[in-house]
Formats: sequence, C-alpha cells, structure tokens
Amino acid sequence: MTRRPIVWLVVAVALVGWPWLTDDKFLHHVGVLLCITAIAASSLHLIVRTGHVSLAHAAFMGVGAYGSVLSVMNFGLPWIAGLVIGTGAATALALVVGPIVLRLTGKYFVLITFLFGEMVRMAIVDQAGFTGGSNGIFNVPPPADFLLSTRAYYYFALAFAVCGVGLCARILSSEFGRAINAIREGERLAECSGVPVIRIKVTVFVIACAMAGVAGVLQAHYIRYVGPEGFSIVQSLNLVVMNVIGGMASLAGALIGTAFMVTLPELLRGYVNVQQIMFGAILFATMAFLPGGLIELGRRLGALVRGRRAAASRVAT
Amino acid sequence: MSRLLAVESLSRRFGGLQAVADISFEVAEGEILGLIGPNGAGKTTAVNLISGVLKPSGGRVRLAERDVTGLPPHVLVARGLVRTFQATTVYAGQTVRENLLRGAFRHLYPGLVASLLGTGAARVRRLEADAHVDEVLRWLDLERVQHQVASALPYGFQKVLGMAIALAAEPRLIMLDEPAAGLSAAETDHVRDTIRLVRGRGISVVAIDHNMRFISDLCDRVFVMAQGRELAQGTPQQVLRNATVIEAYLGKSYAQARH
Repeated sequence: MTRRPIVWLVVAVALVGWPWLTDDKFLHHVGVLLCITAIAASSLHLIVRTGHVSLAHAAFMGVGAYGSVLSVMNFGLPWIAGLVIGTGAATALALVVGPIVLRLTGKYFVLITFLFGEMVRMAIVDQAGFTGGSNGIFNVPPPADFLLSTRAYYYFALAFAVCGVGLCARILSSEFGRAINAIREGERLAECSGVPVIRIKVTVFVIACAMAGVAGVLQAHYIRYVGPEGFSIVQSLNLVVMNVIGGMASLAGALIGTAFMVTLPELLRGYVNVQQIMFGAILFATMAFLPGGLIELGRRLGALVRGRRAAASRVAT
Repeated sequence: MSRLLAVESLSRRFGGLQAVADISFEVAEGEILGLIGPNGAGKTTAVNLISGVLKPSGGRVRLAERDVTGLPPHVLVARGLVRTFQATTVYAGQTVRENLLRGAFRHLYPGLVASLLGTGAARVRRLEADAHVDEVLRWLDLERVQHQVASALPYGFQKVLGMAIALAAEPRLIMLDEPAAGLSAAETDHVRDTIRLVRGRGISVVAIDHNMRFISDLCDRVFVMAQGRELAQGTPQQVLRNATVIEAYLGKSYAQARH
C-alpha cells in the first residue's frame, strides 16, 4: 500500500520527462498519438464494461473532429469554441442515437453500431460541398501557434488524456461504476434491484461518445487534416481490438492495448512488406496464449515474482 | 392487517396463447401468499406481470393503494416491490457482500454527480447501506460467508443469497420464484425458515412453488392456478380439500376415488 504513491510519482515523472530525453520528432509524434488514442480507447472501455461492443466509436470521433474543424474554419471561431461545438455535436448525436440502439444487446448492438458508423462516414463523403467529401479538409489550424511544436502538443494532449482516463477511472470506481458492473453481469437481476438499466447505459454511452468527440477534435487539430477514412470502421475496430487485446475486464487493459496497438505498427515500420502479416501474427499469438489480454501477462509475472519471493523467504527462515 | 398488494383481473396474451387470464388476489401486510399450480400454469408470468418485467394486456396492479400497472421493475423496487428469479439469482463472480451491496443499489446510489464527486451525502449513503447490508447478512446467517465468491457457495446458500439481494433493497413485498426448486429436504427447510424470518420483519411474501407440502407448511393463504386461470384460493387446508385442485394436481381418477 505504501508503495502506491511512489509508483504514481514515477509514472508522472516519466510521462512529463521523457520528451526531453530525445529530440526525435517521430517519438514525440507517437507520444501525441498515444495520448489521443488513450482517450478514445478508455472511453470505449466504459461502453464495453456495460456489456456492449460499439463499432461506431470512431464515427463519434469524426463528428467531434468535423464539428470543430468546420466551425473554426468557416466561422473563424477560436479553437476552444471548436472544441465545445465538436464535443457538443458528438454528445447530442449520442443522446439521440443511444436510447434507440441501446435497447439492442449482443450481436445486434454490434451490427447496428457498425451500420451507424458507416452512415456517418457516407454522410461525410456525400456532403462534399460542406465537408470536402472524400478529399477531406486540409490546413486545419492548430489550437495555438506554439502547439505547432510536436513536443508542446504532446503536453497539450497529455493533459486531456490524464483528465479523460481519470474520469473513466473515477466512474468505474464509483457507485455508478458498481451499477455498470451489475448490468454487465446480470442485467435482469440489476433491473430488479432498482438499477435503471437503460438510463445508466445511455448515460455511459453519452459520456463515452463525448470523450470520443474530444479525441477527434484533438486529432484533427494535430494532424491538421480531417478526412472520412480517418473515422471509418477500421478505426472503430482498432479501438475494439485495443480493449480486447489489453484485457476487457479493466481500464488498465484498455491503456495497455492502446500502447500496444499504437506503438507496434510504428516499430514494425522497418519491415514494410511483411508489416501487416507480422502485426496479425502477433495479435493472433496474444489472443491464443493470453485470452484475458496483455494485462494477464503482468498478473502472471507478478504471481511468479511473489512466488519466488515467498519461496526465498521460506528458505531463509 | 391492511391490504398491500391488489391484483385485479390481470391478463396477458402471447399471440394465441392466453398465458394469464383474469386473475385477482390480494396480499395483506405481513402475509405469506403461496402461488401454486402445475407446470405451465402461468405462475412465473403472473409474477413477471406484477413486478414489471412484462406488461399486462389487461387488468390492474395496485401497491399500497397506488396504481403501479406496467411500471418498469426499477421503479417498482423504489416503491417497495422486489422479486427474485428462478435461474439467474446471484452475481456469480462477486463476493456475497458485493452481491448485497448491488441489491441495495437504490439506497446506495446518490446520483451520478454526487457519486463521481464522492460528496458527503454519498458517503453517508454508503455508511447506511453498509450497515443495512451487515444487518441482512446477520439475520440471514450469511455473515460467515460474506467474503466468499457467490459461485463457490452450495446451491441452497445461493438460493438464500438470491433472497438476501432482494432484501437488501428493503422491500415491503418480496416475490420469490421457486425459492425451493432443486433443493434437498434440509435445504428446503432452511429456505422455509428464512422466509418465515422475512415475514417476521413485517415484509409480505408471495412465494411460487409446485411443492404442495412446502407451500402448505409456509403460507397463510394459497392461490392456485392452472392454464392461466384461478382454480381456487383460500387457506392451505381449504385449498387442499378442494376437488378441482386435487383433480388438477393428481388427476381425475384420484379425485373421484376420494368422493
């Protein structure tokens, strides 16, 4: 117990300090991607914890991104207004869609969110006069000029990621989180213990989609481009895979999955022609040997170390 | 004793099947009513209709003289009506204590914002719920196993735990769907004694079962159903003497032989 604050301090120092150990812009860039993706993946984790897998999460990122970019570039609004409008658009859409689609469960929910995500993408492509169609919109302004530096943007995104992941952690550890777990493990039983199941599912969905919207805004103003392909089913599936491969049972799993899925393709970049195959093979191996996700690896190692220590202390006494 | 639950001409049709047809009964405060009938009689459907899991196609349900027909289960829980299920009765992967805390949700939950901020009100509710859960654990004799995972408990204990989850919500009326199904004689006695304890607290009970001995031992009054309809109601003695009940249960020849 007494080691906990020290661990957190080390993590904080590492997150803040590492960009000064290197001037490599590419590493800073991976850091920014990690922060933005962590927001999206951990918010999807909230939905996963209610027992639903949404394939529309990247679409909500897209709604946030386009909402912000269009309002900033068409009306000359400041970035912060873009953030509010983009997040507001994702939230409002989730409020309309959530109560309808959350009456479905299991594979039907997966299918309907898949269709919804594709509808959003097609709407973006279709309204070309407004959204730039499949070409997207270039020259998106950064939130501020000093944020043109990748290192600066890393800290900017890190602040959002800490708040976002912190919010998810707080939700899951609260009484509200207890209701989320009860719904996943026994929806009928929860309802008959007085848990307003649909209302809680909709609340979680709206919070998660709002966070996805924030991630979309951050991404658009970072890469300074929005396009429909950036928010397609492929991205939604990536977010789901992050949750699955890290371990669906805990928020830490979603973060581990994020780190894995964002850094691995970058590490494999040197092997262009076999990159996809190696990526697939690694995913396969992980799921085959660690069905509980990568977090299981940590647990097993931890148990091994504790076992060794216990054995050592037995020998010593 | 004043009237707590009144069911009036309750009906439900599934396509061409009249699952529950025009049943009416009342439950007084602190009373144990047995709901009994052969398989497929519509007992569970009746409980589903009353507890809000299904919407009735006709009739009324009144709880403490307020119309609660068709309200969703979580609203009925807040009004004091809680039910258990035949199969999924517990959160298998959680400890007994966590199971009860989930049952106490409506007392524990201070609202989204208060729960995220951990306000004083949230902490007070948490302490109250903890105390209440301790009390339920004590009087159902589950204290010793409170830190065990529910799935590790013997089946009879799991049935009692299912009741404990419902009791953690502090109901005025608890509806038990086959609380003794699949239990040994000793376990059945334990469940029966537990239900008596519950009534001892002034909580009304509606118990479904098709075990006539269990029901007649336990209940103040019995409501007999067959093919969705009322067959008879009254004290266990009255009902057991009723020729139509004997016929429904034991067949025509047995009924005739006795007369």
